[in-house]
Amino acid sequence: MQEPSKGWPRAETASEHAACHFCDSLQKVVSLEEGKDAHCSVCGGEMYENRKQSLQRTISFSLSALLLMVLVIIFPFLSLNRSGLKSSMTVWEAATSLWEQGDQMISVATAVFIVFLPSLLILSLLYVTIPLSLGKSLPGMVAIFRVVSMLKPWAMVEVFFLGALVSLLKLVKLADIAIGVGFWAFALLMISMVGALGSVNYFEYWDRIEAVRERMRKETFS
Amino acid sequence: MKKNAVPIALEENLAACHVCDRVQDVALHHCQRCGAKVHARKPESIQRCLALLAASIIAYIPANVFPIMEVTQLGDTESSTILSGVASFWRIKAYPIAITIFVASVLIPGLKLLALGVLCATAVGKVEMSPKRANHIYWLTELVGRWSMVDVFVVAILVGLVNFEGIMSITAGPAAVAFAVMVILTMLAAHAFDPKLVWDRMRKEAKV
Ligand SMILES: [Zn+2]
Ligand SMILES: [Zn+2]
Repeated sequence: MQEPSKGWPRAETASEHAACHFCDSLQKVVSLEEGKDAHCSVCGGEMYENRKQSLQRTISFSLSALLLMVLVIIFPFLSLNRSGLKSSMTVWEAATSLWEQGDQMISVATAVFIVFLPSLLILSLLYVTIPLSLGKSLPGMVAIFRVVSMLKPWAMVEVFFLGALVSLLKLVKLADIAIGVGFWAFALLMISMVGALGSVNYFEYWDRIEAVRERMRKETFS
Repeated sequence: MKKNAVPIALEENLAACHVCDRVQDVALHHCQRCGAKVHARKPESIQRCLALLAASIIAYIPANVFPIMEVTQLGDTESSTILSGVASFWRIKAYPIAITIFVASVLIPGLKLLALGVLCATAVGKVEMSPKRANHIYWLTELVGRWSMVDVFVVAILVGLVNFEGIMSITAGPAAVAFAVMVILTMLAAHAFDPKLVWDRMRKEAKV
């Protein structure tokens, strides 16, 4: 393997060129120092990037996101107090009460975009990144990383948080609001998700997966 | 005409995998690295993008016209649309929040529909635009799309929280579903569009 500060391991079968996402021009793949990125020489679009300590950061942010997701589901997000009547809600209950009122479609959308997809994304990232950081491959790694790249735009944790801020402002004139543990956990979950996904450069990860699988194949044959 | 110094994948019969980016022979059909189907360009990109766009426009209208939520207080029901929500924040001088909702819920979806329409028109040669500008527009469109979901989540939070039997309760209005559908459709439309088509068009025109 190459020294970790410059570039990332590439398989012998890895393609020598990369094609720009925008203009399709072929560019030779070069190994980058950490923190550097490569741009297309024709249109200037970004092609790939060597993000700092990508694997370690992804693992630590994903582990904290996993823990926070549990807290988010268990603890109340917001509570209301209006002339003696109390009401409190977890993020999960935001989805289920819509279901009870007959709005199944938005109920499912909320549950999927805020709880299911982010959880699946975190677990999938861990399944791929932990073995990669140990130089190992696990069965199904390729299929699972395909899922990660497909699902990424559909996890909307940050958007929900903006929605929570707007809701707070709408509610201040109606009742006393208390912010729950779930709310703070959610804010940290948002930061962890952004940190975990922000450390993943898909180009780098696919190269690493290809390299690890090639090495494992060679080891079994020798 | 100047000979192009940088080779184009399409002209070399190569294609980058849409899933993992591996550059390989188009004739391979399946990516050697991730197994996805290999296409030089996203299949039926323009048709699919336009169809999804048309469906989004249809959903955009009820999303903005119908009430997004209904507040029942001591027997009185008051419904509010996205725009009336913006107006009520504006009246109490909560300008940043009024602007945020307006931008995320009305402006971004509208501009996104327009931008994707213009990109499709550029790719088929009906509109002239520099491909670099088209790149920037496409990049922005993909980036901001999901933020329009914010109002659907506001409704989800308010419905879940404000539920004081007989005194005050909030229910979702028909616009909430229309809104969620619209955001999902525009995200799919942006995903269906292949920005390489704009460059293909420019290169074709430069050769003629
Ligand atoms: Zn380019
Ligand atoms: Zn592939």
